[in-house]
Amino acid sequence: MSKISTGSFSIEELENVQITIGSIVGAIEKKAEDEGEMGPTPKPGISGLRDWDHKLLNRYEPVYTPMCDQCCYCTFGTCDLTGNKEGACGIDMKTHQAREFLLRVITGAAAHAGHGRHLLHHLIETHGADHPIDVGPTNIKAPVIQTVTGIKPETIGDLEPVLDYVEEQLTQLLATIHAGQEGAAIDFESKAMHGGMIDHVGMEVSDIAQISCLGMPKADSEAPLAEIGMGSIDSTKPVLLCIGHNVAGVTYIMDYMEEHDLTDKIELAGLCCTAIDMTRYQMDNGGTPTAKIVGSLAKELKYIRSGIPDVIVVDEQCVRADVLQEAQALSIPVICTNEKIMYGLPNRTKDDVDDILNDLASGKEAGALVLEFEKLGELAPRLVMEVAPIRKEKGITALPTDEEFKELTNKCVHCLVCEMACPMNLPISDAMTAAADGDLTPFEILHDKCIACGRCEQECPKDIDILNVIEKASQKVIREEKGMMRAGRGQVSDPEIREEGVNLVLGTTPGIVAMVGCSNYPDGTKDLYDIAKEMLKRSYIVVVSGCTAMDLGMYKNEEGKTLYEEFSGSFLKGNLLNVGSCVSNSHITATTIKVAAIFAQRNVTGNFEEIADYVTNRVGAVGIAWGAYSQKAASIGTGCTRLGVPVILGPHGSKYRRALIGKPYDSDKWSVYDARNGEELAIPAAPDYLITTVDNAEEIMPMLAKSCIRPTDNNMGRMIKLTHYIELSKKYLGIMPDDWHTFVRTETDLPLAKREELLKILETEHGWEIDWKKKKILSGPTMKFDVSAQPTNLKRLCKEA
Amino acid sequence: MVDTTKNIKMYTTYGTKSAKPVQPKISAKLISKAKRPLLVVSSAVLDEELLKRAVSIAKKTGMQVAATSTSIKGFLNEDVKAKYINIHALATYLGDVNWTGLDGEGHYDLIIVLAHKKYYINQVLSGLKNFTDLTTLSIDRHYLQNASMSFGNLKPEVHLEALDELIENL
Repeated sequence: MSKISTGSFSIEELENVQITIGSIVGAIEKKAEDEGEMGPTPKPGISGLRDWDHKLLNRYEPVYTPMCDQCCYCTFGTCDLTGNKEGACGIDMKTHQAREFLLRVITGAAAHAGHGRHLLHHLIETHGADHPIDVGPTNIKAPVIQTVTGIKPETIGDLEPVLDYVEEQLTQLLATIHAGQEGAAIDFESKAMHGGMIDHVGMEVSDIAQISCLGMPKADSEAPLAEIGMGSIDSTKPVLLCIGHNVAGVTYIMDYMEEHDLTDKIELAGLCCTAIDMTRYQMDNGGTPTAKIVGSLAKELKYIRSGIPDVIVVDEQCVRADVLQEAQALSIPVICTNEKIMYGLPNRTKDDVDDILNDLASGKEAGALVLEFEKLGELAPRLVMEVAPIRKEKGITALPTDEEFKELTNKCVHCLVCEMACPMNLPISDAMTAAADGDLTPFEILHDKCIACGRCEQECPKDIDILNVIEKASQKVIREEKGMMRAGRGQVSDPEIREEGVNLVLGTTPGIVAMVGCSNYPDGTKDLYDIAKEMLKRSYIVVVSGCTAMDLGMYKNEEGKTLYEEFSGSFLKGNLLNVGSCVSNSHITATTIKVAAIFAQRNVTGNFEEIADYVTNRVGAVGIAWGAYSQKAASIGTGCTRLGVPVILGPHGSKYRRALIGKPYDSDKWSVYDARNGEELAIPAAPDYLITTVDNAEEIMPMLAKSCIRPTDNNMGRMIKLTHYIELSKKYLGIMPDDWHTFVRTETDLPLAKREELLKILETEHGWEIDWKKKKILSGPTMKFDVSAQPTNLKRLCKEA
Repeated sequence: MVDTTKNIKMYTTYGTKSAKPVQPKISAKLISKAKRPLLVVSSAVLDEELLKRAVSIAKKTGMQVAATSTSIKGFLNEDVKAKYINIHALATYLGDVNWTGLDGEGHYDLIIVLAHKKYYINQVLSGLKNFTDLTTLSIDRHYLQNASMSFGNLKPEVHLEALDELIENL
C-alpha cells in the first residue's frame, strides 16, 4: 500500500468503489513541520527529555523515605535492602525506591489514560471522529498535547494518535519496572518524570473530549454553582448514588431522567470526580445542576452506611473495593458500569432491562454488571424508583439506635488498638469515654478528621463498628454539611491569559496556587478553606480541582457564603477557579504553557524542554496536594514538576517514598544562563524544592509565598512576594524568615512600609552596606537586578551558544 | 520509674530492622554523652505539658532545637537555641555530610525526636535509617520502628512521666 502525502488529490475512473479513510497518519505533525513550527522533541521517548530531567534533579535531589525495607518483586527475593543494601538482582535500596515511585506514577497515569481511552472510544462512537474540539475561546485547544506531542488536534478523532503515543510510553515505562534492568536511581527518576508528563497528556485528552462532546462549561468563569455535602441530599426522595471518575455512563441516566420527567423525583447524588462531572454535564449554556455532590472518597463508606442511597452505580478509579459487601448488607443494589470494577457480579449487559430490574429489586441478585449505557440509563432510574419506597419504609441503615449507641460506647475497653490502626492515630478512645458520658463533641470533631477507611473496625477486639459510632454521634454535624461548589469551568481562555500573563511573569500578581488532589488530609477539611482564603485575600490566583474543589465548598464565611460565592472565577488575581475533575488537572499545567505561548510568544509545538525552562524561571506557580493519597496524585504532581511547577504535599505525602529537595546552602546549584550572552546568572533558592511535604496548614502558608518567587520578578513583583513571605511567616510561625534577605536584589525589592526597618536589619545582621542618605543598598546582595536578563537553564537557547 | 519498653506493638512493619526499645534513664545517658545532639520537635509540642518538658531538655543540655512545623512558636520566649526548619528539608540536609548544621558549627551525632505525627516522623526516620549513619532516638509516645532506639507505645500521662524521668537523669 502506498503512502499519500498531506493535501488534496483525486482518483478518477473508479466506479462502485467505497473508500474509507481511517486516519491520515502524521498529517497534523506534517502540517506543523511544513509551517516550520515543530520543536525539537515531538512525541519524546523515555530518553527524549532526559537531559532536562537530569538538570532538574541536579538542583533538586531525590530524597528517599522508604515505606518498606524489603523488595518482593521477583522469586529471587524477598530481599532485605535496609541500609541501602543490594538485593539478589543487584538493585540497591535507593534505586528500588525510585523504581517504586515510578510504578506509582505510571499507575496513576494509566488510570487517567485508561479513563481517556474509554471515554474517547465511547464519544467517537456517539459523536463521530469528526466532532470538533471546542473548549472555549482559544487558539491553543490542547496546550499540553501540542507541547509534548507536536499534535494540534482539531477533532476528537485527532486525539486517537495522541492516546496511542501515551499508551506506548506507558507500556515502555512499565517494562522498565521488570527485575534486573535499570541500575541508576536518577534514571528511574527521569522515567517517573516522563510518566508524569505523559499523565497530563492523557488527562487533557480525557477532559477536552468530554468538554467538547458532553456540553461541559467551556472556559466559563461563571460556571454554575452546585450543591454539595451530605446534608444537602434530600433523603425523602429515592436516592441514586453514583461513585467514581468516569461520567460517560451516568450521562445516560441523566438523559433518561430528563426524558421521563424523573429529574425532580429522584435525588441524583455523586461521590468523587463523577460527581463533579455530573454537575458539568450540559451546563455550557447555563442552568443549574440538578445532580448533587456528596463529597470525596472520605465520605464513601460513611454515606453508604447511612443507608440513604437506594441504588449505587459505580464506574472506575477511587471507588472502595468493598462497596458491594457494604451495600448488600443494607439491601442497596449495585450496578457496575465499567470493566475496571466488576465485583464478581454477573454480566447482564445483554439481558433485558426488565429482567435485570426484577432480579435486583427482588434482592435475588445483589448487583449487576451492565456495560451498555443505554440499558444503564433506563435501568438505574427505574430501579431506584422501585426499591426506594421499600427501603425507606423499612428504614434500613447501618447506624445504631440511641440505645445501641450507648451499649457500643460502654463496650469499649480502651485498649487503644483502634488508635494504633488508625492512619491518623485519632483519639478514638477518649471520644468513646466522652460519648458514654453523653458528650458527643469529641466524636463530632473526629468525624471531619476521619477518612472513613474502617481500619479501626478491623482491629477492635470488641467488634465495635467504630465508624458507625462516629457517624451516629455526628448526625447533627452531618445534617449541617451543606455547601456550594462552582462546577468545573475547564481551561483558562486565551483572552484571560493575555490580560493576566504579564502580571504573573513580572510578579505583580504574586502567584498561582493550584490546590489539587485527594482527601487524605492530616487534620480535616477546613485546612483547605483556610489556605485558599488566606491566599485569595492576598491576591494570589487560586486554582482548584477534584476532591479539593469539593471539600473547599463545604465552609462558609460569616455571611453564609462559600469561597466560590465570595470570590469570582476568572483567571485574575484574587480569583478562585475550579477547573473540574481529576482529569481537568491538565488545564493547570496547560495554563502555564499558555502563558509561555501567548504572553511570551514561545513556540510550544513539540517544544517541551523550552517551555518547561520558561515556566521554571518565570511563572510563579505552586501546587498543593494536601490530601494526596492516590497513585494519580503522584503522577499529577510529577507531571507538574517536570514542567517546573513545584508541589507541596501534606504529611501523608511522605509515604510516596521520595521528595525532590534542593540545598539552598550549596550556591553552585543556584545559577542559570542569561540567554542574551550565555553568562552565568545567580538565582534565588526559590522554590527550594520540586516536591516536598509539610506538617500542617500553618506551615504551608509562608512556603507558598516563597515558592512563587522567580528570577524574572520585577521590583514591584519581588516586593509584593517578599511582603507576603514575611507577613505569612510572622503570622503563622511567629518569626521573620531567616532567608528573606537572600531574595533582595535592590532596596526597591523591599516591602515599602518596612523598607527602613529592613535596611537596618540588612546592615546590622547581614553586614550589608547601606547609603542611609539615599536609603540605597551599596553592597550585600548576591544577585543583581537586571530587568532585561533572560534566565534559562538551556545553553542552547543562549545567543553565544 | 516508668518502663517505656513494654509495649512495642506495631500495626504494620517496615521490615526486619526495628528500633531498640529504650528506657528514660538510658535515653538521658545517650543524650548527655552525645557531642552534637539535635532535638527535633514538631507541632504537637505546643501542648503545654509537652512544651514544658521539651524546653527543659533543651535548657538542661544546651542542645540545638530543630523546631519543625509550627513548633517554633513555643520557643520564641524561651532561652533555648531553637530554629525553624521544614522537616523534609531537615531530613535532606541530615543526609549531607557537607551540611554544617542549623548553627553552622557542624553536623550532628544524635537526633532526638519528640512530638511528631507518628506516620510522618517514621518516614523521616526511614530515610535516615537507610541512607545515613546517624543514631536516632525517639522519645515520642508511639513506638517508632525506624528510629535506632525508641520509647514503646505509651499513654499520654505515662509519656509525660517518662520525659520527667529522662530530664531528671540528664
